[in-house]
Amino acid sequence: MWTTLTSEASDARNRASVISRPIRIGREVLLLIALGVLVAIFASQSEFFLSERNLTTILRNSVDLAVVCAGMTIVIILGGIDVSVGGIVAVSAVLIGRAYQYDMPDMVVVPIGLAAGAALGAMNGAIIAKSRVPPIVATLGTMYIFIAVLFLVIGGVWISGLPNTLSFLVLGELFGLPSGLFVIGAIYGLSWLMLRRTPWGQRVVAIGCDEHAARLVGIRVDRTKIQAYALLGLFAGLAAVLYVARLRNVEVNIGTNIALEAIAATILGGANIRGGIGSLLGTLMGVLFIKMTQNGLVLIGVSSLWETVVIGGLLIVVLVLDALETRRTS
Amino acid sequence: MTETLKLSMEGIVKRFGGVVALDHVDFELRRGEVMALVGDNGAGKSTLIKTLAGAHMADEGVMRLDGEPVRFTSPQDAWSRGVATIFQELALAGKMTIADNIFLGREITRSVAGIPFLDRRAMHRRSRELLEELDVHVPDIHTWVEYLSGGQRQGVAIARALNIDADVIVMDEPTAALAVAEVRKVLEFIKTLRRQGKSVILISHNVQDVFEVSDRITVLRRGQRIGLLETQKTTPEEVVGYITGAAETKRRPVAAG
Repeated sequence: MWTTLTSEASDARNRASVISRPIRIGREVLLLIALGVLVAIFASQSEFFLSERNLTTILRNSVDLAVVCAGMTIVIILGGIDVSVGGIVAVSAVLIGRAYQYDMPDMVVVPIGLAAGAALGAMNGAIIAKSRVPPIVATLGTMYIFIAVLFLVIGGVWISGLPNTLSFLVLGELFGLPSGLFVIGAIYGLSWLMLRRTPWGQRVVAIGCDEHAARLVGIRVDRTKIQAYALLGLFAGLAAVLYVARLRNVEVNIGTNIALEAIAATILGGANIRGGIGSLLGTLMGVLFIKMTQNGLVLIGVSSLWETVVIGGLLIVVLVLDALETRRTS
Repeated sequence: MTETLKLSMEGIVKRFGGVVALDHVDFELRRGEVMALVGDNGAGKSTLIKTLAGAHMADEGVMRLDGEPVRFTSPQDAWSRGVATIFQELALAGKMTIADNIFLGREITRSVAGIPFLDRRAMHRRSRELLEELDVHVPDIHTWVEYLSGGQRQGVAIARALNIDADVIVMDEPTAALAVAEVRKVLEFIKTLRRQGKSVILISHNVQDVFEVSDRITVLRRGQRIGLLETQKTTPEEVVGYITGAAETKRRPVAAG
């Protein structure tokens, strides 16, 4: 129903709204261009970069981060954040490792990993929802607890020599394509359906836009928050399963960078740290950007320290642009 | 008389600690009537409305809806009984579309393999109908609410109330921060609601608006109802006199506006 407007004031706002959409889609386009530039740079410096083998390696290295990022996108759209995901991945991985050491079959081990992740995520959600502590502080606290648990269980020694029965999930092939692609596709498809096609997703976005308004229309805010953090935890548990499947060991420093990489990828992908906005597709491109940068810099012989500089710098640029945009519209 | 009342409140008392915010207040609303609720800051308007909306529980007094005693325990409870309060903040999610906002918390779903998926087509169709009924003009049902004007947002909030078939619609200062043309539009919405047989409670500081759309005016002062006036038979000066206290009337004859 394209009807005429009543006042000039609303006319001006409409022009703004017409512009608003291309900006949102623009983030993915922008990322695509950035990815193109990145690929061009690395490909010109290393002929190995675009080889099938290297691209497969990048994909395999991306799977666990990508899975975590699907959950992180939902939590950030909700207006939350979880800096403890690395800890959740670590605790889940340790439990998976220990379960394997007790000769438990995959049928038992995998549910243990997933359930541990979901439970820890739900715990984060419950603390945040019930105590009203800012999520970044609450999850900072739980992260230290999770890391302590990791050391208590693992005792500073790697768990290694784990079975390869699940390795096909990351390292295998299906229809001539790397199997990780299908894992990522399934998780993002599922997340997208939940976020954009169900009432649950509407609740998540509404809480991210305005929690008070969400309460006023009768949305059970606390319950939705716990569910969203539990979903992120579940995905972190799955990431742990995939991590163990890929590397077949559990290192003491497992999960150290996951939280920051996940938040960076999500924000790069267009999610607004204040909630309400986010794009699963953008996040996926953010993951690819981070993992390509890591891979490419190693290939062209640049110190991997620069990787963090590039990602950190880009993140600041994006956040500043977001802040400017917010100031302009409000 | 009683059988025509849509809603009534009798002897409502609400205390906050030692402060008596509402002191045996009576209030009534007929079917298809626009009742203005006016009073100075702190007169008890908000407390009365929050009690009516289910956000506060009265300490004493009876509330009747269609003659039956009711007690709302939450705003959702009130909404489900057809009493929709549109608070000043409107409770809209800025980064969601008009249709998504109208159905927020009450989405139409279609079950696929037991999973409830949004039926966006049905929601869009119904949203268009509601906005048309109310004569709200928006560029596109997919526009984010944060890009709408204040009047359009009021329209969306009212459409949400109509969607649940509310027949009592309470509007808290709907024209407060609006440009002149937008105020006109919101007043038109209220007249449209009356034509549809809805009962409207309009809380406003603006005596001019009150005189334009209301049938009757309830005046609160210091937690008491000190006036129930027929809009046709009173004047802005008299209403202002009630609001400020009769003694002050002579010194401030035209404080309206």
